[in-house]
Amino acid sequence: MNRLDARELWEYVLTQVELSISPANFNTWFRDSSIVKIEDGIVYIGVPSQFFRDWYLKKFNMLLLKIIRSVSHEYRNIEYTIVKDDRRRQPKEPRRTPQQTTEMPLDEFYINKSDNLNPRYTFDNFVIGAFNELAHTAAQTAIKRPGVTYNPLFIYGETGRGKTHLIQAIGNQFKKLYPTRKVFYLTSEKFGTDYTDSLQAGTANRFKEKYRQFDLIIMDDVQFLSKKEKMQEELFHLFNAFHDNNKQVIFSSDRAPVAIPDIADRLRGRFASGMTVDIGEPDSESRMAIVRKKAAIHGVTLSDEVVEHIATSVAGSIRELEGVINSVVCHTQVKGVPPDLAEVRQSLRSFARPQKTVSVKHVVSKVAEFYGIDEESIYEKTRRREVVRPRQVIMYILREDFSVSYPTIGSKLGGRDHTTVIHSCEKVKREVIDDTELAKEIQDIRTLLV
Amino acid sequence: MIITLDKKEFMEGVGSVSRFAERRTGTLPVLAGIAIIAGDDGIKLRATNLETGIDLKVNGKIQETGVVALPANTLREIAASFSGGGTITLEHAGETVVVSTGGARSTLKTLPFEDFPTLPLPEAPQAKFTLSGATLKSLVTSVMNYASTSSVRPELASVLLAAEGGSIKAVATDSFRLAEKKISLKATIPPFTMLIPAKNAADIMQTLPDEDIEIQVDDHQGAFFWSTGVLTTRLVSANYPDYTQIIPKSFIADATLLKKDFEAALKRTAIFSDSFLKVRLEFDASGKKVSLSAQNADVGDSSETVSGSVSGESVQLSFNHRYLSAPLSGLASDSITLSASGIGRAMVLRGSGDTSFLYLVMPMNQ
Repeated sequence: MNRLDARELWEYVLTQVELSISPANFNTWFRDSSIVKIEDGIVYIGVPSQFFRDWYLKKFNMLLLKIIRSVSHEYRNIEYTIVKDDRRRQPKEPRRTPQQTTEMPLDEFYINKSDNLNPRYTFDNFVIGAFNELAHTAAQTAIKRPGVTYNPLFIYGETGRGKTHLIQAIGNQFKKLYPTRKVFYLTSEKFGTDYTDSLQAGTANRFKEKYRQFDLIIMDDVQFLSKKEKMQEELFHLFNAFHDNNKQVIFSSDRAPVAIPDIADRLRGRFASGMTVDIGEPDSESRMAIVRKKAAIHGVTLSDEVVEHIATSVAGSIRELEGVINSVVCHTQVKGVPPDLAEVRQSLRSFARPQKTVSVKHVVSKVAEFYGIDEESIYEKTRRREVVRPRQVIMYILREDFSVSYPTIGSKLGGRDHTTVIHSCEKVKREVIDDTELAKEIQDIRTLLV
Repeated sequence: MIITLDKKEFMEGVGSVSRFAERRTGTLPVLAGIAIIAGDDGIKLRATNLETGIDLKVNGKIQETGVVALPANTLREIAASFSGGGTITLEHAGETVVVSTGGARSTLKTLPFEDFPTLPLPEAPQAKFTLSGATLKSLVTSVMNYASTSSVRPELASVLLAAEGGSIKAVATDSFRLAEKKISLKATIPPFTMLIPAKNAADIMQTLPDEDIEIQVDDHQGAFFWSTGVLTTRLVSANYPDYTQIIPKSFIADATLLKKDFEAALKRTAIFSDSFLKVRLEFDASGKKVSLSAQNADVGDSSETVSGSVSGESVQLSFNHRYLSAPLSGLASDSITLSASGIGRAMVLRGSGDTSFLYLVMPMNQ
């Protein structure tokens, strides 16, 4: 009998015992026991102390015998041994180190009440790559002479690129460098609710006071202020107060100041008046560095091939990347060893975007429905404007989202030449950049198709 | 079961036995109870948390024999509320026990007695000897607070009790400091070692009487027998580190100070210690003094000297002030001796003229 068999046998025994005694009894008596070895038909059960041995002999011996005999008649008898403390520790030992890292994350949720900063975000764990080098340098410069060099510092980039990490790191670093000065981090949404609350409570003056006492204000996701005129105005005044006193302001947004819709021009101008810097798409080297660093934070070292596989196969934002790493870390903590490439592949399947094998017909019908035209007209050789545009959109979506080949798209859509399809796709691709209306339409269609 | 007991007897019995009932929730409910066993050999109260267990005889009249388990918390609260003399009667019927005393009558729900574990006693005792309870308690209580509170190393979370030659000693360490109490005995006892988990030791020492106690030890279990009771505890079966190696053999500086001076100075200086609780100690042989200093960026700094007889080199060491003040209250002598063995090496603290107790503390990085 090898060890695995002993473990399997014990697991079987536990499932059987659990059925026949109360949960409290089960938890008290069976949690810390295991089968130590099986020798000559005698099953040796290791128990933590003599309390357990006596009770096992008195209460559970018959039950356990019955269960193991039902597995095999090879097992003749059960002996109970008290497991030495140092021996009992050993099976747990490989797990203990990663378990300590599970303790750590408790801190992660800890947010300092006085400044709202999450101490988890620091420059030390910020991965710098070509995509965010400029933003990082700008941040470092801003922090050296706060309020003077780049005021405001405006950082933008798509979701999950590390904006929040960067600006919170600035806050944490600022706190470290200038312990006497006050930092405050907030999202524009928080600013908004604060403002409305103060209006309702009739304490608008206190609201102004509250923010003006700080030396550094970091406001996340300012794009949410669009269309909220009163709040924009309040922010405008707050910003002026800060700027005049040479106090640093840092903004983040998911798009450039000029691209934020429905925002007062004077505020837009203020946003762009300091340093505006974007965080681009992380390149593959940076992604690998990120994977390695995030895993290292959790105390897990991954082999190079695993790192590479995760970095290349998880498309999308760093946040998604982090999700995958968390699952790998969890895997490591449960199994005790970091997963190998095959296991990572397996678990990544659940993260990968569902492989969309949608029929062309389905797409056509959805798009036709969206534009309110007859489905048949898509396949016809008509060049009516209201049909041409949807047809081009269909081709674009089939190509971009479902990677259908140009000739296939052509033949499925009423036997068109593949060059026509290429032309249509390119055209939509070009237009979608400038034409926000079209971009929105395509976005809506995509949600219909999911 | 119907029994009648003296109130005081009941109070004391429940008081000491309830200490051994399980206090954590989520375990077997009956472990949070006290079993009352009225049989041919009198009335016994029993409790166990599967680490330690107690069986205590109490005097009382048995009208009808029987067994029952009752929640320890409730019993303790009832017992604590007693005043004056008189008797208490417990009457078990079905699922309840009626407790009556004077004009008061309360009905208590019972716990399932059949789940109540048996108390294991050492099966083949490797050592068996008798020691006065007072000696045993003074041995263990003077060191048990210095055992590690972490369960990562079970041997460090225990108190070592060992006999060799004509003496018996208790040792505890948490790897930052170590305490050893050694008492020589008139009667010889066989050599043995036992590692009592420190958590259990505290409860056991509070309960043991001063009278003679018979101790039995085997690999996994230790038991203490006295005239009216038995206490049994799990023992840690691991090897205790060879601590004698780290006790310095030679010292570079010694200082003998009045305990109350040192204690007061330490208390004041500690106010200014930093987040690491660091207090600096400086042996000044030429000035016949030891100076204590501490600084904290937020609070300020402080320094103070305590004069006494100081010999050897001048040396500076930093300590966690809690580790320095901890043993002082337990020392009976008026003056203490601090012996430094070098920078970054252990310092030994003893009560002057008291060779039975040794306290060793590691300095902090400078």
